[in-house]
Amino acid sequence: MRWWRADLHLHSALSPCGSLELSPRRIVAEARRAGLDLIAVCDHNAAENGRYVRRLAAGEPAVLMGMEIQAAEEVEVLAYFADEESALELQAELHAALPDVPCPPELFGDQVVVDEGGEIVRRVDRLLLSPVAWPLAEVVRRAELRGGWAVPAHVDRVPGGLLGTLGLFPEGPWPQAVEIAPWTPLEAARARWPELRDRAILRGSDAHYPSEIGRAWTDFYLAEPTLEEVRAAVRGQGGRTLRPSPEAKEER
Amino acid sequence: MKLARIVAELGLENLAAGDLTREVTGGYCSDLLSDVLAHVAPGELWITHQRHLNVVAVAKLRDVAGVIFAQGNRPGHDVVSRAAAEGVNLFLSERSAFEIAGRLYRLLRP
Repeated sequence: MRWWRADLHLHSALSPCGSLELSPRRIVAEARRAGLDLIAVCDHNAAENGRYVRRLAAGEPAVLMGMEIQAAEEVEVLAYFADEESALELQAELHAALPDVPCPPELFGDQVVVDEGGEIVRRVDRLLLSPVAWPLAEVVRRAELRGGWAVPAHVDRVPGGLLGTLGLFPEGPWPQAVEIAPWTPLEAARARWPELRDRAILRGSDAHYPSEIGRAWTDFYLAEPTLEEVRAAVRGQGGRTLRPSPEAKEER
Repeated sequence: MKLARIVAELGLENLAAGDLTREVTGGYCSDLLSDVLAHVAPGELWITHQRHLNVVAVAKLRDVAGVIFAQGNRPGHDVVSRAAAEGVNLFLSERSAFEIAGRLYRLLRP
């Protein structure tokens, strides 16, 4: 086992708010520059570009399939998958549950699927930056049903964070792990939200621009950089563990 | 002003209400529960579009006089039955939050 550096929350050109420069090629290049061993591309309610990033990276870095789902409560949840098929099936369900609101690029930005060679595969017309018609519990249930792992994104943040929006965690064991915003000091988060103390805390860059990739990360002590191993680290199994990076300097 | 009078004047649908004799001291509008936790005062009526179960927990914790779901945003059965069990007053209005707040303000600060 060894330490692997992971950024499990970055966006691509498929997010309207993400830079059009974030093609699979650029993402892989920036991830290597930042010394990342494992990444996940989590676009708003979409997983499709992860497939091309994964093909291009060919294991350097390893790539989990992922997406950032916006629940009806306007709380954002990261959903991770080991395989492409499950992620893309959930994406299809999500798109059917999105409001029929168009995405004028001049207002919200472009939503493009880009392949390994930088060619535009398709444009997504419906605005991805909208809450789906499912409440939070349903989002978690649907992700888990397909073998996915659901982690509330930047829990402390307003807008979009579970604690920022809903004030406290839902009853029950979920979530075992949470992500905090790139710029929140760990101790400040634990002081503000005591319920974070008995949960694994991850940090991701939430990069929307190339230079932001790697500004925050999580180190995992694992046998190999896979979703299964990451989840074992959250449970603390067999000596596996994790530690979030220090907070990023810049604040948006 | 007593809650019962406000419910009648605003034409609120009663979803779960144990104690309509409560004194209402004011109102607060927000859909962010963290913001409500930080700023709502006990005895105020909370007007919101948020329908998550945590609304009941926050309302109980802050001892609000009641929650008004605006714009016909009807909460699920889990929310209503939890509120009934916790003694949290829940109401529904088809009116917008703006209209509810405006009418409530006129009643409380004539």
